[in-house]
Amino acid sequence: MKTFLAGLSLLAMTGGSALAADYPVKEIQGIIQWGAGGSTDTVMRAVTPHAAEALGGNIVMQNKTGGVGAIALRYVQQQDADGYTLLMGAENPQMYKVLGLGTDDYTDMVPINVLARGVPMFVANNDAPYNSMTEFVEYAKANPGEVRVGSTGPGGLTSIVLAMLTDQEDVEFTRVPYDGDGPALTALQGGAIDVMPAVLGAAIEGVKAGRMKVIGLVDTQPNDLLPGVVPITEEIPGFADYLPWGPFFGVFVKKGTPDEVVAELQAAYAEGAKNPDFIELMEDRGFIVMSIAGDEAMDFLESYRSTSSWLVHDAGFSKKSPEEFDIPRP
Amino acid sequence: MDTLLALLTVFTQPQLFLLVGLGTFLGVYIGAIPGLSVTMAVSILISFTFSWDVYPAISLMVGIYMGGVYGGSRTAILLNIPGAPSAIATAMDGYPMAQRGEAGEAIGVTTVMSFFGGLVGIAVLALAAPFVAEFALTFQPRDYMLLAVLGILLVGSLSAGSLLKGIFAGALGIAIGAVGRDPLTFAERFTFDFQIMEGGISFIAVMIGMFGISEALLQLHHVGAEAMRQKIDRIVPSWSTVRKYLPLSLQTSSIGVIIGALPGTGGDIAALMAYDHAKRVTKKPTRPFGTGAMEGLVAPETANNAAVGGAFVPMMTLGIPGDAVTAIMIGALFIHGLNPGPMLMVDQPQMFWFIVGALLTANVFILICGLTGIKLFTKIVEMPRAVLIPLIMLLSVVGAYAVNNSVTDVYWMLGFGVFGYFMRHYGYPLGPVILGVILSRLLDDNWRRAIISEREDLGAFSAGIFGSPLSLTLLLVVVAIFVSQTPVYAMLKSRISKRAADQA
Repeated sequence: MKTFLAGLSLLAMTGGSALAADYPVKEIQGIIQWGAGGSTDTVMRAVTPHAAEALGGNIVMQNKTGGVGAIALRYVQQQDADGYTLLMGAENPQMYKVLGLGTDDYTDMVPINVLARGVPMFVANNDAPYNSMTEFVEYAKANPGEVRVGSTGPGGLTSIVLAMLTDQEDVEFTRVPYDGDGPALTALQGGAIDVMPAVLGAAIEGVKAGRMKVIGLVDTQPNDLLPGVVPITEEIPGFADYLPWGPFFGVFVKKGTPDEVVAELQAAYAEGAKNPDFIELMEDRGFIVMSIAGDEAMDFLESYRSTSSWLVHDAGFSKKSPEEFDIPRP
Repeated sequence: MDTLLALLTVFTQPQLFLLVGLGTFLGVYIGAIPGLSVTMAVSILISFTFSWDVYPAISLMVGIYMGGVYGGSRTAILLNIPGAPSAIATAMDGYPMAQRGEAGEAIGVTTVMSFFGGLVGIAVLALAAPFVAEFALTFQPRDYMLLAVLGILLVGSLSAGSLLKGIFAGALGIAIGAVGRDPLTFAERFTFDFQIMEGGISFIAVMIGMFGISEALLQLHHVGAEAMRQKIDRIVPSWSTVRKYLPLSLQTSSIGVIIGALPGTGGDIAALMAYDHAKRVTKKPTRPFGTGAMEGLVAPETANNAAVGGAFVPMMTLGIPGDAVTAIMIGALFIHGLNPGPMLMVDQPQMFWFIVGALLTANVFILICGLTGIKLFTKIVEMPRAVLIPLIMLLSVVGAYAVNNSVTDVYWMLGFGVFGYFMRHYGYPLGPVILGVILSRLLDDNWRRAIISEREDLGAFSAGIFGSPLSLTLLLVVVAIFVSQTPVYAMLKSRISKRAADQA
């Protein structure tokens, strides 16, 4: 009996290593954290077929929404760590711990590839009486609470960018909640809100068509897509403390996935991210392609988490202190 | 000339023409199966058509979209199970017709009227897209809120029997819609600290359970009964029938286009509003509403198909999705290297005209797919119940799972199925529950947005409503409909007619 069991476990072990060697032997599931048609969805559907080709396997993507993406993350963490379930997500999980939305974040997973980073900017309704950050801050100071700013919930891009601004300048706004930057930018064009911090890619087409105007670029460098717009650090130098900062998209697997499998996936996504179609798509939308993995990705994720967590905590809308999770102050 | 060529692209390239046809055909069946939604089909197609050119990919998606919206009516009429939320109103008069053995006629009229509604939607898209889009943009949060209030007043038309029970059902629906993390602040509501409740309750799961499972359970009462034989000799409606409903369908199509074009409302609300409108304006329906009135079938079906054209209006002119499906199509355009946005119409007008052409083609295919194969479909109702009931159960489970690939949704669906069965048993209408769930977020989110933007000042909020012609009009409509449902209105009416009689 004992020898039988030993034989069985031996069989299982060799089976296991054989599995890693010819990974993938079956369909891989890609769980997209956000809904169909959103930016995470678009990015993942654009890069994954190229990665699948490089991998020589099949990656089937499905959207699993809810709980600001926490439901998808929890689902992936509940599966086996065999590399057959990938999480395709955005930056949100890095805030789960301080906002009390979940117990795990990306530091509890293995990054396969952090594909790209977005640049935030401030856009305003065309009729707004300010054209730059300096003018905007002046106006907001003179009329406290009058400017209606779109927001996408605590922990979202808008809340963090606004936390940076209120950390630097003593300003007050009325924050009107929207469920996503798409609906908020629509409302901006209709005049329901005055200003909206949004990722460049989401607003660029509206800006090009003259339906809204850019009043600030939240980066340290000028951007090719926005000629004539100065980086925010030239108007409010204090922003340099937080920048470069921006939402990102990445592919992750559960911790404990065999190293060979992780390496194969990393190689495949690195290859996929080199595809010219993908790069063109990302550049058109104003995303900066990063395609990083390993320690480089971990450092980036960690820096995002520490900057954002402390900003949110100091602005007073965290549920728990970043100290509880040993998140160092930047 | 270029415009005409772009419009005719679909017709001149047999491959594209066939893809639209194939899409429409698939769409009709996907739409007919509760839970298999067009939204899902189109998002799967994005990966599937990844390596294709943009025209064939869009052709297939447009076909599926158009076909799917129409297909939802099939199961609504035949089984009393709406295949999609936009077919809920269709079931109210469609199913009673099938029970009388008139399923063939009902499907025939639905098909022709869907075609007509689709045509109105496409015409508005082609001729007036920029104006309609600008109009849609002027809707402020307070206007969306008033629209939701208007929607809630539909409870009156959706409750056969006791209005009180209808109001209860509607309130229940609104409460169900509020469960989960509030998407605006992420605060938990009605979750009782259960992780499972955090994501909210999928409204599709509620719908499939309430209509699918409860219907199957109800049918168990007559499991041995002989199925109704369906008359299928009169499928294509006569010209005089079509002409009779033309004025009504023109009105309901207009409702469909506008509601469809508003970002944030779609075919489901349009169809329910159109049903309500038909009930108000029709003096002499073919039969009382709720028992198989043709008008009750025509109104929602024209409106939901007209809403398709409407949904493309903000998408094509501004890059703003009119509903969930157009949101995915915007993603598809991105992946294929286009930049949907306000500049698309300027830089690539041929894309706009190509989509108009594809929609037209899909609309024609609806007529073809819809009027053929009815015989086969009506056979479904004639199936022995011992086969039909398990089949409904199976489809309901698959459908509920497929919405978000979540087993939790299946449990919700089953729970609401059993609950819906008892509700029906005690004479509580199910329509208002679904109405409540659909409108819950529209009302809640926009009320909060409206009042927050006025810095929580009720005075400024009212001033905003009275200061804007659009808001004021919506408010007056709300008041008028509300008053017309109270005894005050009947009293006034009789007094006025009496005075008129006295003067005469």
